[in-house]
Amino acid sequence: MSAAGEGAGAVPGVTARLSRGTWAALVVLLTGALCMALAGKLPWLVKFPEAWALPMTQWVGQGMEWLLGLMKPAMRLVSAGLGVVMEAVNWLFNALPWPVLIGLVTGFGWWAGGLRLAALGGIGMSLVLASGYWTESMNTLSLVAVSVPLALIAGGAVGILAYEFPRIKGLVQGIMDVMQTVPTFAYLTPLLLLFGFGPVVGLIASAIYAAPPMARNVLLGLERVESDIKEAAIMSGGTRLQQLFLIEIPAAKTQIMVGVNQCLMAALSMVIIAAVIGGFEDIGWEVLLTMRKAQLGPSLLAGMVIVVFAVIIDRMSLHLAMTRERHDLRIAGAIAGVGVVVAILLWGRAAPGEVAVMEPAKQWLDTTLSRVLTRNAGTLDAIKNGAMFYGLLPVRIGLDGAVLPFTWGFQWTAAMSAWFLGAAALAGLALGLAGRITAGLVLLILAGVLETGVSELPWPFLLVAVAAIGWTAGGWRLAALTTGLMVLVLFSGLWQKALLSLYLAGVSVFACAVMGGLIGLASAASPMVWRVVRPICDMLQTIPLFVFLIPVLMFFQIGEFSAFLAICMYAIVPMIRYTRQGLVSTPDELIEAAISSGATSWQVMREVRAPYAAPTILLGLNQTILYAFAMLVIAALVGTTGLGQSIFLALGQADVGLGIVSGAAMAILALVADRLVQGFATKRRAALGL
Amino acid sequence: MAMSDRDGTSVETGAPAIRCENVWQVFGSNAAQKLRAAQEATGGDRDATAERLQAEGLVPAVRDASFEVREGELFVIMGLSGSGKSTIIRCISRLLEASGGKIEIAGENILTANKARMIELRRDKLGMVFQHFGLFPHMTVAENVAFPLKMQGQGRKARLERAHEVIDLVGLSGREASYPRELSGGQRQRVGIARSLAVNPDIWFLDEPFSALDPLIRRQLQDEFIKIQATLRKSIVFITHDIAEALKIADRIAIMRDGKIVQIGTPTEIVLNPVDDYVREFSKDVVKGRHARIKSVLRPLSEAPETMPDDPGIRADMTLEAALAACMSCYEPVPVHDASGAVVGIVHPSDLAAALQVDEA
Repeated sequence: MSAAGEGAGAVPGVTARLSRGTWAALVVLLTGALCMALAGKLPWLVKFPEAWALPMTQWVGQGMEWLLGLMKPAMRLVSAGLGVVMEAVNWLFNALPWPVLIGLVTGFGWWAGGLRLAALGGIGMSLVLASGYWTESMNTLSLVAVSVPLALIAGGAVGILAYEFPRIKGLVQGIMDVMQTVPTFAYLTPLLLLFGFGPVVGLIASAIYAAPPMARNVLLGLERVESDIKEAAIMSGGTRLQQLFLIEIPAAKTQIMVGVNQCLMAALSMVIIAAVIGGFEDIGWEVLLTMRKAQLGPSLLAGMVIVVFAVIIDRMSLHLAMTRERHDLRIAGAIAGVGVVVAILLWGRAAPGEVAVMEPAKQWLDTTLSRVLTRNAGTLDAIKNGAMFYGLLPVRIGLDGAVLPFTWGFQWTAAMSAWFLGAAALAGLALGLAGRITAGLVLLILAGVLETGVSELPWPFLLVAVAAIGWTAGGWRLAALTTGLMVLVLFSGLWQKALLSLYLAGVSVFACAVMGGLIGLASAASPMVWRVVRPICDMLQTIPLFVFLIPVLMFFQIGEFSAFLAICMYAIVPMIRYTRQGLVSTPDELIEAAISSGATSWQVMREVRAPYAAPTILLGLNQTILYAFAMLVIAALVGTTGLGQSIFLALGQADVGLGIVSGAAMAILALVADRLVQGFATKRRAALGL
Repeated sequence: MAMSDRDGTSVETGAPAIRCENVWQVFGSNAAQKLRAAQEATGGDRDATAERLQAEGLVPAVRDASFEVREGELFVIMGLSGSGKSTIIRCISRLLEASGGKIEIAGENILTANKARMIELRRDKLGMVFQHFGLFPHMTVAENVAFPLKMQGQGRKARLERAHEVIDLVGLSGREASYPRELSGGQRQRVGIARSLAVNPDIWFLDEPFSALDPLIRRQLQDEFIKIQATLRKSIVFITHDIAEALKIADRIAIMRDGKIVQIGTPTEIVLNPVDDYVREFSKDVVKGRHARIKSVLRPLSEAPETMPDDPGIRADMTLEAALAACMSCYEPVPVHDASGAVVGIVHPSDLAAALQVDEA
């Protein structure tokens, strides 16, 4: 291995001042070189033999089935009970004449935020009516209406308990961390067995999914109440319950309302995802159905309805949380009253279906879109194939596998490998001689990874890499934790699929980091850019995950590239936000100090703002990684391989073992990435003395 | 530091180090334009212009400030928070763009200087120290101090060498490799001072450099600052809200209130002849005896009685406090000598006591 040889050649003179990162990179490089060298003789080094894997899916499956069997009777009872409640709520929403509901939402909007929110409510609900999806929307709303109170009560109780009993706080936070990383679909399989087929499963899944944000915000809000206030409550002679309910919870109201907002959004998002199991004519199901039939117009319109709901719910609840000012309740009442009057006038004459004025537009949209897409099919295909052949595929299966005469025009040969690695080694050496040894080593490692392909990386290399990064980011403990978790995945029998998921998440995160970083930088440098970017970010964060699939499917059909795009669209937002936030929040005095030292604006950015923002940007990267993993599973709907696919397979076959193990593997990947990046962020923050 | 030669600073180049003429700093949108309109409408009257601007929702933070800083002079701007003192130093260093007026540094109008020229000036001629130090948390002490030199484009070795010199000057040798978070407040400000001196600037801005420090450390740093200035003789603009600090270090003091400069004078003038109640309020708690000299209560020889039995050896440049201590037991006028020992006048011990009396509000 010439690569390793030259990489090591730069080292001896400077052994004394090698940093931890350099050592780690060196070890990883040597391991990789060793694996490459021995790959021919010892094939098990590269591909983990299936015979070595433990039958985890079976064990977990049997264990869970036994456990679920025990709980089943009780749960079926709960299910039946919830079913009755849901039926009732559903009946109510469907029986409510549409003018009344529109009036109520508009009136509520007026009360909460005046003209703007009233207009949002009125126009939004009218759009829903016009789209012709009124009934489906009401079914979705009734699911949300039942699951949200459940989540609020459960989440609020957990938050208060964690606050009251610090001993369980750590445990609760750990469980919530895990719940946030376990992919949403993975909940569904065991729930399906427990509660039986039907909408109640979606309801419970969404309540489970929506409870943690509530719990987190309740806990955070209570902890942030100033100690003066708490002490004043104690000195006034209140009992503990009085202190809590009369003083502390009201004082934490804003944060708790933020929790309610997040809880609502999570519930809506999950209700729509849960439509995958079907059995309920809701709006998510409609999107899925029309998407499967490639009816672009209808699926786009149904997606729009979801977005409208998301925006209305988000803006109104956020406004309730953030401002105290309320508008005249009498006007709100009057608006609702108008709705009632209209309802009476139209009684029995205008069913929601009859006023769906956009029905013809749906057809028109469908045909127009089809025509436009067919006409541009060549261009779109070229984009997709270009990205696949020259971007995604080489990362996935390596240059040696992806460079073929059919796509690149020539065949990758062993000699080319040698040249490629040799060139990388030279570049690495140059970096090393310039005093940036770690960067040189990392460059060499990346070249090796690109040559081999992420999905074909030898497992010892990957484990050593995780350990090395863990050690650099947070010491032995972190290294042991992350490597241990990865070993679990290795023996689960799902290693190969995990690699595929890792590859897709990795490419997407990389793209998001570069693009998001640049957009964030531009937004920080120019308020004009931010004025454009900000509403787009707000929008992307409001839209439920599921909806991202519609446009990418429309343009690029089923496939990895569509999944990649959907993930990027969703996961890029935190990167943009945090990058900008970090860059603009540098203390004024530091900037003044740099300017008065004669720094140009570019120097201020590079020398002061960027290093100061580094921990914040790392946190953004961390969020981006978690977002990418969350979307990865949803994206499996548009045809990706990997763990997401397994989770769906399990859902289809009601295979609890497979569902849970692949869900856990996915969660482990996300958790490991999360801990590693957090480790680096903590280190940077400590280095800045923050 | 000797007080006597302060007012007679030699002027070498003719142009003062800094000259501010009718400087305005107004916050708000379109400030410069609205300021000009308001000035035209009011005929340039300061208070009327300010009122007009305020009525339009703008904030005139500095109002028509004019002063000069002579070469080698330590010029202190004093005022309470919100009086505009920090704003005016930022106008001079052009961290803020003044809305109106003229600011010259060594005869060059810097308000019309372009960006490149300003960067050049900052790299070579100006140094600044900040209230909360403004140290870069990701750089070591040496890197912080060497930063302005890096901006000048000096090589790594040269700039670390120079950084070491200035770090030595502020008494921080041995802490070069430490990070700001590892230092105490006093040490951090020493780094800030070292950084501002690294390029050996002609003009030195200090924005409340000692205000964030404990009283003991503050006094220690003030003394060292006076010592450093005695050897370097920079032209300095020093901002503070502490009258004792101002009186202790200043050659001349400008007192600001509501964006206006209400009085400029030497410490003695400020203490003994405050122009209004605002300035008097400041000097009320000051022990005047420590700042005022015999000169201020000197009576001519013609008023001398025929015999002066006591001669406790009072000299004209003694502080009132020292003089009073010397003639504790005297009740009759005593002679005052100049440096050569000749009698230049007389002083009544009762005048000394009266001058030292603290005003009771």
